[in-house]
Amino acid sequence: MKIIYILLQLLAITGFYLLGEELQAFFNIPLPGSIIGFLLLFAALMLKIYPLEWIDSGAHFLLAFLSLYFVPATVGVVEYGELFSGKGILLIPIVMASTFLTMAASGWVSQYAAKASTERKERS
Amino acid sequence: MEFNVTAALFAALTVVIYLLTNSFYLKYRKTFLNPVLASTAIIALILVLGNIPYDAYMTGGSWIGTLLGPAVVALAIPLYKQRDLLFTNLLPIVSGIATGVAVGMASGILFTQLFRFSEELILTVLPKSLTTPVAMQVASNLGGIPSLAAVFVMVAGFTGYIIGPVLLKWLHIDSAIGRGIGLGTSAHGMGTAKAFEYGQQEASMSSVAMTLSAVLGALLGPVAAWLLLL
Repeated sequence: MKIIYILLQLLAITGFYLLGEELQAFFNIPLPGSIIGFLLLFAALMLKIYPLEWIDSGAHFLLAFLSLYFVPATVGVVEYGELFSGKGILLIPIVMASTFLTMAASGWVSQYAAKASTERKERS
Repeated sequence: MEFNVTAALFAALTVVIYLLTNSFYLKYRKTFLNPVLASTAIIALILVLGNIPYDAYMTGGSWIGTLLGPAVVALAIPLYKQRDLLFTNLLPIVSGIATGVAVGMASGILFTQLFRFSEELILTVLPKSLTTPVAMQVASNLGGIPSLAAVFVMVAGFTGYIIGPVLLKWLHIDSAIGRGIGLGTSAHGMGTAKAFEYGQQEASMSSVAMTLSAVLGALLGPVAAWLLLL
């Protein structure tokens, strides 16, 4: 029985995904269809239009193997060996430096904003 | 029909190698045994040694890739389960993530332009802080190279995972919210794995950051690309 539930829930998730893709194509929205599907599902859950129990185990199953789904794409790097033997190797330290800045900015701002808001609460 | 048999074989090969490397990783828990990295290396080696063109492999490989879209949709469930955490800390969470995504994209563009990389490569580096399925989609929508984008996502992930804790300590980012949002926004799933080592609160913050930064990045990506083209 569990397998049937999971399969039906996977179909529901695919339904949200396809709806997102259709809306994207129809309204020419500059967002990936999958993100539109994500937002639709999140909204449906928040508004209690769609109950969590009807999608939870399917999502859990699908996400358990998340990293498998991008392996075929990452294998595509075999076609870009030449890039990394030349100037392209610089892209690695560039990505690292930019990652540091991203972490510093996001971590610092959220820590600062959280402290500021607790202080405000304490004063009032 | 022979065509379909090879495609099925390539798909099956990918799943088997992934499951093997994954169980190996779960057993030894070493960062460099990361299943995506290990599977990619093994499959790439098979293709090179067997002289198999990537396009031939992708007849089956793309079957597995079709699951990426639904998997992104499914990320709504973990976010929904964290909704209380998200809404009680909405301002610090959203302001941190938005700043991080903007700084990440701006610095990515700036550094790549400084070294005069092609527009295609700039757009490929742009979504590197987003979780892989979203980064690949964003790169392909903008005119970048999805498989290379996935490589840069992994570089960002490893950077955050390995050097992140040192940076956080050095910058005195020592609260659960600061650590979690910093790791999740800059290093997606890898950062979230590191956040787990700090504790449950950090991990929750990081997974919220990973998901929200993906959504925000998908929104900001086209804007950044448009600014780049000006």
